Formats: sequence, C-alpha cells, structure tokens
Amino acid sequence: MTLADGAALVDVAFAACTVLARAGETAVLCGGSAAAYYVPDLYQSLDIDFVVEVGAAPHVVDRALATLGYARVAEGYYRHATLRYALAFPIGPLAIGREFVTSWRTDRRADLLLHVYTPTDVVRDRFLHYWAWGDRTALDVALAVARTHAAEVDLDAFAAWTRRELAADASYDPSRIGRFLSSLQ
Amino acid sequence: MRRDDLRPAVFGTATRDRVLIRLALSENGLHVRELARQIQTSPNAVHRVVIALERAGVVVSRPVGTTRIVLLNRRWYGAVELRALLERLASAYPEVDARARTFRERPRRIGKPL
Repeated sequence: MTLADGAALVDVAFAACTVLARAGETAVLCGGSAAAYYVPDLYQSLDIDFVVEVGAAPHVVDRALATLGYARVAEGYYRHATLRYALAFPIGPLAIGREFVTSWRTDRRADLLLHVYTPTDVVRDRFLHYWAWGDRTALDVALAVARTHAAEVDLDAFAAWTRRELAADASYDPSRIGRFLSSLQ
Repeated sequence: MRRDDLRPAVFGTATRDRVLIRLALSENGLHVRELARQIQTSPNAVHRVVIALERAGVVVSRPVGTTRIVLLNRRWYGAVELRALLERLASAYPEVDARARTFRERPRRIGKPL
C-alpha cells in the first residue's frame, strides 16, 4: 500500500490501521487525532495516536508500518520521509480517566478500515484534559465534537462517567462539568 | 542517595521510587533539576526516569519557559491508587518527605525579601 504525497490525516489513519489489522494487531485511533477525525475543519493534529492491544510485538508493528514508508524514530513513534504526519503509539491499555475503553467504532472505506473512539469517548477524552489540567483548547474541541455529532454523543453516559470519576477523585472541580454542559445549550 | 540503601525499590529502582514519591508530595509539579536536588541525585538520572515514566503514561510534563515541569498524570487510569500508595511509601523515605515539607509551593511576590 502506498500513501500519496498529499495524504491527509484520515488517509494515513485508515492506511495505518489497515496494515496493522492485516498483521494481526488491533490499533484504535484515539487522543487528539480521533477528535481531528470527527471535526477536521475545526481541529488538526500532526501526531496520529493509536493504542494497540497490550502485548503487540514492536517488530510486527515496525514491519507493518514500513509497508507505508513509516520508520520507527523513537519508542512508539514513527516518521515518514515525506508526509508531515507522525504515528504515535502511546502505551495502552485504552483508557479515559479511570475507565478502560473496550469498544470502539470501526469505519470502512473501500477495503480499508479504521478503529476509532466513538464520538462520546472523544468528548470524554477531550473534556478530561480540560477537567484535569484546565486546558481550554481541549474544552473547545470537546464542545465541537459534541455539537457536530450531537446525535451520536450520549450525554447521559457522559454525565454518569463524570459522577464516577468524581467519586474516585474528589479533587476534580465539578463546576467544570456544568460549564461544559451549559456551553452546549 | 546512599549506595548501601536497603530500602526496597518498589518501582524497580530507588531513583524511580524517590521521583514518584516526591512528585506525589507536590501539588504543582517540579522541574527536573529541582526534582533531582530534592531527592539528591543527578538531573540526568532523573531525566531518564521521567522519560520512562512519561512513556508509560504515569507522569506528564509541560514546558514552562526553558524548562519542563513534571507531575503525576492525574488522567492515568491508576492515578488515585498510585498516589495513595506513594503517600504511604513516603513514610519509608523521611528525607524526601522532610525536603518536600520545606519546599515552598505557594506563590512569592516579586522582590519580596526572604
């Protein structure tokens, strides 16, 4: 499989996920790049973050990504000679706050596939950056995904999750949940 | 740090233990040099530990000026349990705890005398 010189983030993400799947590894697009997938006009990322299943062999990932022209330049980090997008593999398991992510969405494009956080999980993930660190950029991205994919974002599940996080770590500021939800209206 | 230190290296090495414990005792994080000074080891050794822990998702860092502030990653899935364990372990490292207690985390007005 070859990537065109002008390949976009989504093209690279589909290609990488597919070659990894063909090598027997499940990789899920997460983090800011999953947000960029859902709101490409509002948010961009130059790192494409995938979490592969725990236990994935690095040499298998290396070989699969080499077929796209990506080479490992650091642990869990791959670069292409001409494309500006890097592939990053944070250490798993997939988790948002205290909760592990065990299901995701799989989109298909011709014979390619992409495992990616659901819109609800992207909202949880970006909101958590705001909740934990006060990052307003992440809040804006969470809001953008929640607005753009309103029909797919489960706000009841989001609210229930915030209650569970608060129960475990009372140092989180509950007023930030209200700020997020009121900004949606 | 004494080479004949017999305390268990719960997280693999004594430096790792001390880095994590000291970070658990900090609200706002520390830069690498200060972290090294606080646990009395070299900045290079601390830097190596921080890189490994950051890769694992246990700590995060953010640039502030020309340096980086390191802190425990409160978003990590085991953050609450880890902090509780580290606060417990701090009792085994009274010298780390003692230095943390004398380290000023609150703001200081510019020009204010000591």
